[in-house]
Amino acid sequence: MNATLTTVPATTATGPAHAPRQLRWLLRLHRPALLAGAALVLLTGAGLLWLGGPLADASAAAWKQYNACAFDERCSYDQDAVIRHKDVYNYTTYAVLAVPVLVAAWAGGSLTGREMESGTARLAWTQGVSPARWLASRLALPAALAFAATGLLTLLHRLAWTGTEDRIDTALVWDHYPTFYANGTLPAALALAGLAIGVLAGLLLRRAVAALAVATAALGALWAAVHTALPHLWPAVTKVTSLREGPRGEGIWAGQGVLTADGDRLDAPCLTSMLPGCETTLSDMGAVGFYRDFHPAAHYWPLHLVASGIVLAVAALLAYAAFRLLRHRTP
Amino acid sequence: MTVPAIEADALGKRFGRRADWALRDCSFRLPAGRVCAVVGPNGAGKSTLLAITAGLLAPTEGRATVLGTDPATARPRVGFVDQTKPLYPQLSVAETLRMGADLNPGHWDADTAERIVAGGDLDPGRRIRALSGGQRTRVALALALGKRPELLLLDEPMADLDPLARHELMGVLMGQAAARGTTIVMSSHVVAELEDSCDHLLLIGGGRVRLAGEIDDLLAAHTRVSAPAETDLAAHEVVESRTTGRQLSALLRPAGPLPGDWRTGTPSLEELVLSYLRNPGASAPAPAPDTTETAA
Repeated sequence: MNATLTTVPATTATGPAHAPRQLRWLLRLHRPALLAGAALVLLTGAGLLWLGGPLADASAAAWKQYNACAFDERCSYDQDAVIRHKDVYNYTTYAVLAVPVLVAAWAGGSLTGREMESGTARLAWTQGVSPARWLASRLALPAALAFAATGLLTLLHRLAWTGTEDRIDTALVWDHYPTFYANGTLPAALALAGLAIGVLAGLLLRRAVAALAVATAALGALWAAVHTALPHLWPAVTKVTSLREGPRGEGIWAGQGVLTADGDRLDAPCLTSMLPGCETTLSDMGAVGFYRDFHPAAHYWPLHLVASGIVLAVAALLAYAAFRLLRHRTP
Repeated sequence: MTVPAIEADALGKRFGRRADWALRDCSFRLPAGRVCAVVGPNGAGKSTLLAITAGLLAPTEGRATVLGTDPATARPRVGFVDQTKPLYPQLSVAETLRMGADLNPGHWDADTAERIVAGGDLDPGRRIRALSGGQRTRVALALALGKRPELLLLDEPMADLDPLARHELMGVLMGQAAARGTTIVMSSHVVAELEDSCDHLLLIGGGRVRLAGEIDDLLAAHTRVSAPAETDLAAHEVVESRTTGRQLSALLRPAGPLPGDWRTGTPSLEELVLSYLRNPGASAPAPAPDTTETAA
């Protein structure tokens, strides 16, 4: 009894003064993943700086030489520079896009799945860290790191891409999908959603490997859903063209077809009246022109921001669900 | 006005709506300062009961009160060692103890934790993944005791230990209980393992409390008898009876003085436990533990 009398004042004097220092241990426990992630970000970042600087200049110079040749029979230009720029562009673009997937896999497999499977989560909960605090630390710190990493990489990607369209003939256009995604805010939002998906999968399945697989697949499904919905997330521009011309309008398509005199929109059986047989088919339908709904380059940021907002809302819901689940399971 | 260490009121837990009850209608009261054995066959619900008490599992029904409050609030004052002794395999022994200090600010007893680890001749630089089962148990106990718990819950703590380590660690635990008044609850399915060190018993079978109370009181309340085969035992509360030839042997709670021609004896704890487990229909004694508690 004396012991309790002496320990109780000690805990009240120092206990609430500082909360358990678990962030340090979170970093220590996931040191290999942290180092691997840092290496990936540094390598990709360095690759993007190289791509935007020396590689883009060399490729642009080569294209300048090539275009200056016009129709000369002997043309000397640095083909390797063109190919190197194109290759490094592809590798770095896919590396940027892989980050959200890697975050989801790690969060499911390692961050919560393995702790639930081995029981170390329970160890933490009985070592002065309440389940809610445990979960909060596992969401907050990785979220900050994942957001910073994807944010930095997409920014560098955008810098490396900007301006290449005019100088490099093989540069990819803004609406080439991998380029479209890697240049904007969606990867950062998807990385946060991946983290929430992984954490929830780990808590639900309590198996590291299963949570890794399910989290990866679920993030893929979310991305696919966003991709499918993307053209409809912002009002599209409609361009009406003549029957001879066929549907026109560069950018991300939301839909196209034929217009009738009544203003009805029908599916297009063929894409220009100059094709044999097409003219009669079109006149049978009563078509007066083609239309295309599409997003021009000016819609880039509205599309990205609306899609990112939706993904962030999903991430917040999943994080809330994870807290609710833990609250339901533990008192 | 001593607050009981644990008070369970009709506790029940089932995992999933269609599953069987892992624990059902479990009521008992454990006074503070006791060393309590939770005994029962595998799958009886011992681990579930300990996890609920440790604030790791919400009960489906009923209520548990731990150290006078709810299990979640009591968590910082409760030590728990899981059956599988989970530890982070990538940390070293020394790092694991430093983590214990960081996660329990203000009430970490580094000396006790280090002493328990040192007793096992463990190199502090060894990774947890390289330790044997017994060595892991030692580190897990060091973590649980390092936080200076008022209540220590141990789920099958001695299963991986050799007899020497078992004896030594049991000594450490009893020392803690004596010096700090720590209440210790440990589960096991090997009764003999607990007989010497425990003074309170909680027998769980089929998810229910079969027997609860001070071991001395429980043993005193029961008698082992041998009598001729045709003897009528109906006057007494019979836990178990068996007839071999012309001999009847039984374990019972006498309702009054027994006839002088019966041979009687005090049962061992193991006999008592086994008799109750073999006879699920035997009724538990009236809550004698409660009356002794109020008297005490």
